[in-house]
This record gives sequence, structure tokens and C-alpha cells, in this order.
Amino acid sequence: MGIANPPPNPSQPSPTGQTQRSMAEWVTFMVATVLLLALVGVIIYDWQVNQDRPPAFDVAVAESIRITDGRYYVPFVITNTGGRIANGVQVIAELDIPGQAEETGEQQIDFLSGHEQKEGSFVFNHDPHRGELVVRVASYRLP
Amino acid sequence: MPHSTPWRTELQAILRGIAGGFLFGIPLLYTVEVWAIGSATDPRWLLVVLGLTLLVVWLLTQVEGFRQTLTLHPLEAILETIEAVGIGVLCAALALLLLRRITLATPLPEATGKLVFESVPFSLGVALARSTFQTKRSRDRRTTAPLSRRLASPTLTKVRDALVDLDATLIGAVLIALSIAPTEEVPLLASSLPPLWLLLVMAASLVLSYTIVFASGFTDRTERLQRGLLFSPPTETLVAYVVALTVSGTMLVVFQQLSPSDPWQEWLSDILVLGLPASIGGAAGRILI
Repeated sequence: MGIANPPPNPSQPSPTGQTQRSMAEWVTFMVATVLLLALVGVIIYDWQVNQDRPPAFDVAVAESIRITDGRYYVPFVITNTGGRIANGVQVIAELDIPGQAEETGEQQIDFLSGHEQKEGSFVFNHDPHRGELVVRVASYRLP
Repeated sequence: MPHSTPWRTELQAILRGIAGGFLFGIPLLYTVEVWAIGSATDPRWLLVVLGLTLLVVWLLTQVEGFRQTLTLHPLEAILETIEAVGIGVLCAALALLLLRRITLATPLPEATGKLVFESVPFSLGVALARSTFQTKRSRDRRTTAPLSRRLASPTLTKVRDALVDLDATLIGAVLIALSIAPTEEVPLLASSLPPLWLLLVMAASLVLSYTIVFASGFTDRTERLQRGLLFSPPTETLVAYVVALTVSGTMLVVFQQLSPSDPWQEWLSDILVLGLPASIGGAAGRILI
């Protein structure tokens, strides 16, 4: 680190060497303090609330299925109902139409924090209403 | 000179801090790993990071800072440290909101984690603002001698000065955009922005560029006024933004991030998203070079 201050630039308004802080500087200080205290408060609150809650998942499949160009788009919403973040959450959809085809879809969700929701869609070639559709979370990692 | 009132001086000091914060903070803002680390970190560790930031900023404040004051009471160094980190946190929050790394849907722990980690470079930038943007004497700048006496006429000197400014914008924009253009963050960020949000990104680029060059009192005003006669400050900011966008477009094409087969929407959003750091770099270039 610099040992000595660089010499003051001659072109700049010379520092007055005042030790008295102006009102404006105190306002800056107070706003900054409130901001930092709020941040620390939120961090401590989060620690208190979420420290011992591992990830847990809730997958909701929408009733309304979109049909475009003969394909069936099934939207889903996944929620991490736990407190901690999960990494690489694997969502699997299995569509079983009796006597016909069996289709699967897979989703990898990179990061899902506690209480976070993410949306996506599975795409099938067959009408999911005519068979049984199971959407579930198969695995995840802790970061 | 409008330096007279303490409120104005303080506002300039804060703007100077903001400018320094963005200059240092933007590269780390375009780093996907920092978002991931931030969202996955234990709250206690976040407090440690915040504490370390305060410590380092306090050390920097002993010799640097964002105010012009050169003599400092030890207690004032502590006050200025808190102010600098406060400004850093505020800037990081605004930047994360602007790039939609934090939205209303982001869970609180994830938002605080990202905010704390992104605040580190922003706070350091605030604490280094004064020395970073210390006015360089223009006599140090290399100038090419006019080819003939006719070219030394006052109008042509102004044109040459404007070209020097554009050149400096180009260099600054290239330096910053070069390190961001090849990464996958640009398309990642661009794809997560709703179409109208791009207008906000443009506005932020222009405001930051203007703040760094004209509002924060970095530049020697008399020199600026002499040099800036060809372009008024708003015009210069606009022209510099066009240069920054050109640079980011070129960089993205050079690094094969954009190809003619990509839809025009992707071109538009990628260029505007990279245009933000490029215009900040360009503004810094105009001050430093």
C-alpha cells in the first residue's frame, strides 16, 4: 500500500483541512449506517429462520395444456419449500398411456434457493389427459 | 464555481464514489459464479465477508477515499469507511436490480448473498475513487504534431480534441468489453431481460457515463470547458455511447458470440447489455487518458 499520500494536485480545489464534518456528510453517514445495519439485520434474520431447513420440493403441474403443432406443452412450477439452496435439481415427468406409448421428459434446474419458484414446461407427443402423468423431483445436490 | 456549498461538494463526492464503484464493480457483476456463490453461502459467512470488506475499505480510506479531503481524523476514517461501504452496497443493489439478478421473486437469502458478494468490488471502487480518477495533466498525453500550420487553427484543434476524446472512449470501452465479451454472461443476462427493460439498461449506461465524466468533478473543469466546445456534455455522452455500442457489437462478433443467423432481437439485447460496461469503460477512458 502507498506509504505516503500522493501530493495534492495543484489544479484541484485545495483541501481545506477541515476537521469539522458538514451537515451533508453526516446525512451521508446516517443513510449509509441505516443501509448497512439493515443488511446485517436481514442476514441475521435469514440465519435464524433458515439455518436448519434442508431443501424440499413441491412440483405443481398446470391443468391447462397448450397444444401447438400437434405437441402438448405441460407447464409446471417447482418450489423449494425448504430453507437451504439446492443445486442441480432434477425434475422428471413420466407419461404413461395404457396400451400406447410411454414418454419421459427431464429438466435440470441449476440453482433453487429456499422459497424460490421456477417455471418450465414438458413437451409430449401424446395427449397427457389420455394417460397418467407423473412429475417428480428425482435428485438434487447441495452446493 | 459551483463548489461553494457543502451539499454540492458532498453530492459530488458521492457521485465520484458511485463512479468508482461501478468501474470496479461491473466486471465482477458480469460473473455468473459470483451470483451462484452469493446465493449458496451461509449467512454467517456473509457477515464475515461484510466485515472483511469494511476492514479493507478502512485500510484504503487511510490513504484514499472518495472525498477530496486530504487530512483525516482517525475517527473520520471510520465514518468514511462506513459511508463508502454503504455507497458500495447501494450501487451493487442497483446494479443487481438493473440486470435482474435480484427481482421481486428472488428469495431474501439469495438476494442478500448476491448483494454482499457484489458489494465487495463496488465498495473497494468507492474507496479508490479519488486516486483512480485523479486528473491527469493533459500535457502528459501524447499528441501528434499537426501536419501543417493550417491544421493548427482553433476549429481544427477542437476537432482534434474531440477525436482524442473519442479515441479515449474507444480504448476504455475496448479494455472493459474485451474481458466480458467472450464470456457466456452476456447472452445469459440478455436473455433474462424483458424487452422494455433494455430501455432501462440504455438509460443507466448514459447516466453512468455522464456521471463519471461530468457530474462527479473528476475532470479539470476549465480544461473540459476548453476542450468540450465541439460537443456539449449531453452530446458527448451520446456520441460516446454510440462508440461503446459499436465496440460491444464488434467484440461480440469477433468472439463469435453473435452471428448473422442469430435473430435481430439477440443482437440488440446482447449489444445493449455489453454496452453498459463498455460505456462505463469509455467514460473512464475519457477521464484517464
